Amino acid sequence: MNLNNILPYKKQTLKSFFSFEFTTANVVMFLVSIALVTAMFYGIGVYLAEGHHAYGVTRDHAWGLLIAMYVFFVVSSTGLCIMSSIGHVFNIEAFKIIGKRAIVGAIIMILVGFSVIAFEIGHPVRMVIYNILTPGLTSAIWWMGTLYGMYLFFIILEFFFLNNNNHKYSTIFGLAGLVVGLAAHSNLGAVFGFLVARPFANGPFFPLYFILSAMVTGSYLLFLMYGWRYKMKFPPEVETFLYTLAKVLGLLLAVLIFFEIWRMLTAIYGNMPERADVAMHTLTSANFLVGEVLLGMLIPFAIIIYSKGKAAKALVYASITGMVGIFWMRYDLVHDTQLAHMMPLKIKEYAVTTPFVEYTPTLVEWMISLGALGLAVMMYYAADKFFDLDHKSEESH
Amino acid sequence: MARYGMALDYKSCINCKACESACKEENGILLGADKHRIWVGVPEMEGIFPNLSIGSSSYAPSQCQQCDNAPCQEVCPTNATYYDDNGVVRVNPEQCILCTYCMQACPYDARYIDDRTMTVDKCNFCSDTRLINGETTTACQATCPTKVRIFGDLDDPNSEISQVLRDREHYSLKTHLGTKPKLYYLT
Ligand code: SF4
Ligand code: SF4
Ligand code: SF4
Repeated sequence: MNLNNILPYKKQTLKSFFSFEFTTANVVMFLVSIALVTAMFYGIGVYLAEGHHAYGVTRDHAWGLLIAMYVFFVVSSTGLCIMSSIGHVFNIEAFKIIGKRAIVGAIIMILVGFSVIAFEIGHPVRMVIYNILTPGLTSAIWWMGTLYGMYLFFIILEFFFLNNNNHKYSTIFGLAGLVVGLAAHSNLGAVFGFLVARPFANGPFFPLYFILSAMVTGSYLLFLMYGWRYKMKFPPEVETFLYTLAKVLGLLLAVLIFFEIWRMLTAIYGNMPERADVAMHTLTSANFLVGEVLLGMLIPFAIIIYSKGKAAKALVYASITGMVGIFWMRYDLVHDTQLAHMMPLKIKEYAVTTPFVEYTPTLVEWMISLGALGLAVMMYYAADKFFDLDHKSEESH
Repeated sequence: MARYGMALDYKSCINCKACESACKEENGILLGADKHRIWVGVPEMEGIFPNLSIGSSSYAPSQCQQCDNAPCQEVCPTNATYYDDNGVVRVNPEQCILCTYCMQACPYDARYIDDRTMTVDKCNFCSDTRLINGETTTACQATCPTKVRIFGDLDDPNSEISQVLRDREHYSLKTHLGTKPKLYYLT
């Protein structure tokens, strides 16, 4: 039996696997990825030795940067999955070319997300066992974890059939992956939205916003992946796709901005404690104003509006700021949820009262979190070497 | 089976912290874990010196509220957090995966990570050390010099706690969240 018959892949020797064109961009990317992954492994080593004490998390801020980064990766995965299904599940012409590349990205992103969360959850192995033995069916984390497991299974099968050019089954598993992915991802929003104790997070906003921002994230990532793949010299069908994508992204960003405005207005209105004060704190923070609003939404949005969606190259660069913005959206989501002191009386005696719970990630947390980006790049490089991720020309017609 | 609760005659509290010490001793709380499992809150006195309101100068002893409708239990993905037969909300360390979701969900900041087992823990009304042996006291209650703490079975109409809750006005914390706390502050 030959593996190549089951899953067609490109044969690589060690030499061909490690050889790439020596352009400045490639070499920089290579070195940065190596540095990031080294940092990640170092960080993991420190974590294994010291446990959570290596992190900046505290009792009242128990979720830190790693949770934010996990959300970042799984949002990216779901986003890529949703965007790719526009083409090969819903048959929208311009999007048909992105199938394999997007799904490989989705698989990589969720695997990297899982590898980050494994160093945040105290007992990941126990989790797998008791998730099955004593399922907590009222827990959004249980649903999120279980559905994401299924999602990963489906999108792997989807990629398998895409790679085999089996359109029937790739569509079936694509649809299954999409539906389960949407369910999983909105459940991740519900992990925060279900917190009755935290008025700023509680409610339907996060489950909805997660899906919307996943689509924005998926669009940014597609710009980045295609910008890198074609080194900004796009063939016509890719250019057509990127123009359409820019228009879709413009619409998504407009909706996102609209969502955010109303979330903040309803949060502030009426001055409800633990909601209005947290919202004001967020609204006046650089994380939100510069990170989320300027980098994550306004810069890409402005480019789309002024170029009428035709500035594909500028949008590739804007997608870098966009992804930085997306990172801050995830960070703030986790941080803002925990800002309010749950028992303010408790802290008055020994410590100076801080109006909000404070948290600063440690170097180890940064190493693992950002290092994981290097891991994602490396896995993508390997996938690109082993599989033919480009569309066939007939798929573009 | 009993349904345990605690009434706190908090205006008698003198902030001696005997309850904190007794709890740490009883449950093996590690050094440095101050205000983790049980704590005495210190509200700021009202008024401006020298016109301070003596009436406002009271302490707020607190711990896990043993909610009848506990958010921490609802969010636990592995059912490590459960209600035992006495209505006490407990954590089974074997099943806890340390996702700390319950710490996010608890409106009372009552949970903490126990560094000995690397799982989340909280006050369990001394279930492991006393209730299991048939005793009906808790360490904090037994040690309190001013008899702030009244511990007992809420389902037994003749218990001291049932009587005191009938006779005296009392309030609970954050009841608007629907958590149905079983810690009662006597006014
Ligand atoms: S006070 Fe917190 S830890 Fe205790 S039962 Fe209620 S929600 Fe759970
Ligand atoms: S930390 Fe443990 S007890 Fe708390 S929700 Fe997670 S598994 Fe349950
Ligand atoms: S032992 Fe009693 S008086 Fe002393 S701090 Fe605790 S509740 Fe207050």
